[in-house]
Amino acid sequence: MNSNANRNAKIKLFISRFVVYAILIFLAFLCLFFFWLMFVNSTRSNAQLQSGFALFPKENFLKNFYNAWHDGTIDIPTGMKNSFIVAICSALLTTYFSALTAYGTYVYNFRFKKAVHLFILAIMMIPSQVSAVGFIQLAFKFHLTNKLWLLIVPSIAAPAVYFYMRQYLQATLPLEMVEAARIDGSNEFRIFNQIVLPIMKPAMAVQMIFSFVGSWNNYFMPSLLLNDAKKKTVPVMIGTLRSADFTKFDMGKVYMLMLMAILPVMVIYIILSKSIIKGVTSGSVKG
Amino acid sequence: MEKMKKLSKTKSISYAKWGYIFIIPFFVVYLIFTLYPQLLTIYNSFFEYYRDGLNVIGPNFVGLRNYKELFTINNAGYVPIVKYSLNTLILWIIGAVPQFLIAMLLALFFTSTRLNIKGQQFFKTVIYMPNLIMASAFSMLFFALFSQVGPINQLLQSWGAVNEPINFLGMTISVRGLIGLMNFLMWFGNTTILLMAGIQGIDESMFESARLDGSNSTQVFFNITMPLLMPIFIYVFITSMIGGIQMFDVPQVLTNGKGTPNLTSTTLIMYLNNFLGVSKNFGMAGAVSVLLFIITAVLSAFVFKTITRK
Amino acid sequence: MAEVTLKNIKKVYPIGDTEKKQRKALKKSKEENPESNKANLQITDEGVVAVQEFSLDIKDKEFVVLVGPSGCGKSTTLRMVAGLEEITSGELYIDGNLVNSVEPKDRDIAMVFQTYALYPHMTVRDNMAYSLKIKKLPKEEIEAKVNEAAEILDITQYLDRKPKALSGGQRQRVAIGRAIVRDPKVLLMDEPLSNLDAKLRNQMRSEIIKLRQRINTTFIYVTHDQTEAMTLGDRIVVMKDGFIQQIGTPQEVYDHPSNLFVSGFIGTPQMNYFDAKLEVENGKYVVNTDGYKVVLSEEKQVRLKEKDVKPQDVTLGVRPDHIVLSENGLKGKVDVSELMGPSCHLHMTVDGKDVIAIVPTEGKKVDYVNKEVDFGFNGNVCHIFSKEDEKNLEY
Repeated sequence: MNSNANRNAKIKLFISRFVVYAILIFLAFLCLFFFWLMFVNSTRSNAQLQSGFALFPKENFLKNFYNAWHDGTIDIPTGMKNSFIVAICSALLTTYFSALTAYGTYVYNFRFKKAVHLFILAIMMIPSQVSAVGFIQLAFKFHLTNKLWLLIVPSIAAPAVYFYMRQYLQATLPLEMVEAARIDGSNEFRIFNQIVLPIMKPAMAVQMIFSFVGSWNNYFMPSLLLNDAKKKTVPVMIGTLRSADFTKFDMGKVYMLMLMAILPVMVIYIILSKSIIKGVTSGSVKG
Repeated sequence: MEKMKKLSKTKSISYAKWGYIFIIPFFVVYLIFTLYPQLLTIYNSFFEYYRDGLNVIGPNFVGLRNYKELFTINNAGYVPIVKYSLNTLILWIIGAVPQFLIAMLLALFFTSTRLNIKGQQFFKTVIYMPNLIMASAFSMLFFALFSQVGPINQLLQSWGAVNEPINFLGMTISVRGLIGLMNFLMWFGNTTILLMAGIQGIDESMFESARLDGSNSTQVFFNITMPLLMPIFIYVFITSMIGGIQMFDVPQVLTNGKGTPNLTSTTLIMYLNNFLGVSKNFGMAGAVSVLLFIITAVLSAFVFKTITRK
Repeated sequence: MAEVTLKNIKKVYPIGDTEKKQRKALKKSKEENPESNKANLQITDEGVVAVQEFSLDIKDKEFVVLVGPSGCGKSTTLRMVAGLEEITSGELYIDGNLVNSVEPKDRDIAMVFQTYALYPHMTVRDNMAYSLKIKKLPKEEIEAKVNEAAEILDITQYLDRKPKALSGGQRQRVAIGRAIVRDPKVLLMDEPLSNLDAKLRNQMRSEIIKLRQRINTTFIYVTHDQTEAMTLGDRIVVMKDGFIQQIGTPQEVYDHPSNLFVSGFIGTPQMNYFDAKLEVENGKYVVNTDGYKVVLSEEKQVRLKEKDVKPQDVTLGVRPDHIVLSENGLKGKVDVSELMGPSCHLHMTVDGKDVIAIVPTEGKKVDYVNKEVDFGFNGNVCHIFSKEDEKNLEY
């Protein structure tokens, strides 16, 4: 080996690193750019927005916030309250009952155990839109439109969350632990709540976050079910915003509303990004 | 000695019943809120059943007429299901092709020990972020940014790149392009992370022995990485396709549900959504849903195979 | 503090469940002994019979060890006593009460598991206190009992740690502690030492002997390790393929194995076997191994006569420590000689078969390797097994 070859290799590595970092920075820029514009524009008055492009924030943030919060047509505080109710309740129900179901098919030996497991896997990929027609029809028939619980309760049966929990149980819960608890005198529900749930905490947390984000962002079903302004969730309000007549709108306020819509999820993400990204892999690809 | 408590005796100490008890909530909810509506959807698809003003027409049994309507040329001169399926497919491809290329590239960058990329956590955090953003708000943002008086046109004009504002939302190519861009931005980070995990799951010694055998990085990629990554790649690809079929929020909000221009950005779910709006055309909506179900079922069968194979 | 009686206990796994069970058993057997054959369980219309005709009276405060190769049904039997498995048929009494359909929590038993099964999210103290909390004992009483058990097991300083922060041996102690805080009538142990390394295992074995002297209760202990069985048990129950092979004190089982399987399973190194003929010469039973004749001892003569055993081809078993080098006798070629200190293990080939002999070194340095040696044995230490049913012909 001579030093020339060595130097060439070094130069090659330097160039490839340079190119790779350039690509990464460009993509990162692309991901952040539009949100940055949204933020900047949410700090500008309508007049400022009409006058031209700006890359840096202005001073009207609080004014826009006040206007957006007290808007007559888009009642964002109510929307956020409704969204929080739906998202938090769904997250709690979906994680608890998916864990319960996964525990049921994992720990107990019953006749249809395998069939039940395969069935849930089989329905995992069916899009929720396929049941929408019947769902809407029933909702109208029984006058259940504008009922938030109708968006919450179905989350009890979440095949994908079940699958994740089941994988997690398989990896972390030895059956002997359950038997030890039985001998210690615990009944089956108590075993689940006191022994198994604490062990499943990490999995529950990850799924709670994803479920929360999923319901917070959910647009299709809520847009069909909620038409009462007092019951609308945030995405539905954003949809209404789009269909409003734009020439009459204070654009600063519009950007502010969008910022508010994504803010809760952004805050969660900034705090928990590490575990969320970990959760992406452990959830979707078989271990 | 004290006698054993009599009341504690049960018929048997079999725990099987608890298995059933624990899965009851799931199945009750599934039956009421998913399966029954699904069956009702299929049932509806054989009926004429819609609202006309204040009148409800039907339900009248019409056999396969709804399906026939989907597959025949309408007054506007196109076959609905074909047009909207093609729209959906095109919109998905515009986003998915760069999504998978870039994600594959990034996954290789991040896992390369030679490049040894610093700040991975930061890059991953940033590129995954759009995935969690409310799609409707993201779409609304693009609408505002790319409107004729929006910042993008302002920017282009200030640069002198254009004299008149570009009507991004009035042209098929730009509307489709924007939808593709949004889908790309929302999903390439997610795909990167999944493919990365797949590559990291490959036994390190495979790469080392290939290197020792004298393979260069291209050969390693095609002979080792890609074949071993295939199952995961297929899984991610098909789930992306299933996601693509369900594309709704982004084009719906961007075009205000109209699929402008000329219905060239109306997806299957938007089409379905239109039937569920004011007209409450449960018959036609049912038929569209059944077709959606069939397409996803076929695709899901592949996914099912990947996850149950051990 | 209780007697345990098992009457004709039988366990059948319905065909549906068995697949998994079998796979598990197979996996386990591979871990324990890579060469062991798959368990030869009986399969009937009802399913796979894991345990049958299991009858045993366990006396109060007795220490009984169930021992056998994997898949022999020993763990299943223990789990039936615990109430973790249903009993297919037969009767199980604890302290005189029929408990077949009593839930584990009401049987007043405790169990130590192979994997310890400690609750990872609880401290050692909470792990040990869990069963008492469920019983709703007063706080002070729980505290006192946990402290007492911790003292016995020398784990007081770890009480506020989580199991993750403990070593294997310490976890094992916690698992035992969790079982003894409850003063159970019967203490069940399922392979409690097999996850420990060899040195720790020896240490814990003597700890269990000490523990037994401190807490007066009935022990049922399951293991696949015959050394554990021999050293711990008042009585041992040797099992194979779901059947009891022999019940007896360690000495009885070692000295008078009831069949070929028991003779090979108990004792290490394993017993040597020869093809031989049982003959009668001058009214005395004689074993003839390839021309080498040994007259059986008096007590064996009596037993064989009582049973009126006919001359026949037999399998002759002799333990390695009972083989003596002699002037004439059987000839073997020494392949390997292992010096163990006071004695020397000779691995020989005799007629194509492997034979192990343990010979005392008595301080002399002798090199046997590759040499031909003559060896023999005495008439009081050879065991004669029927070629037909592999039973010990004496009993």
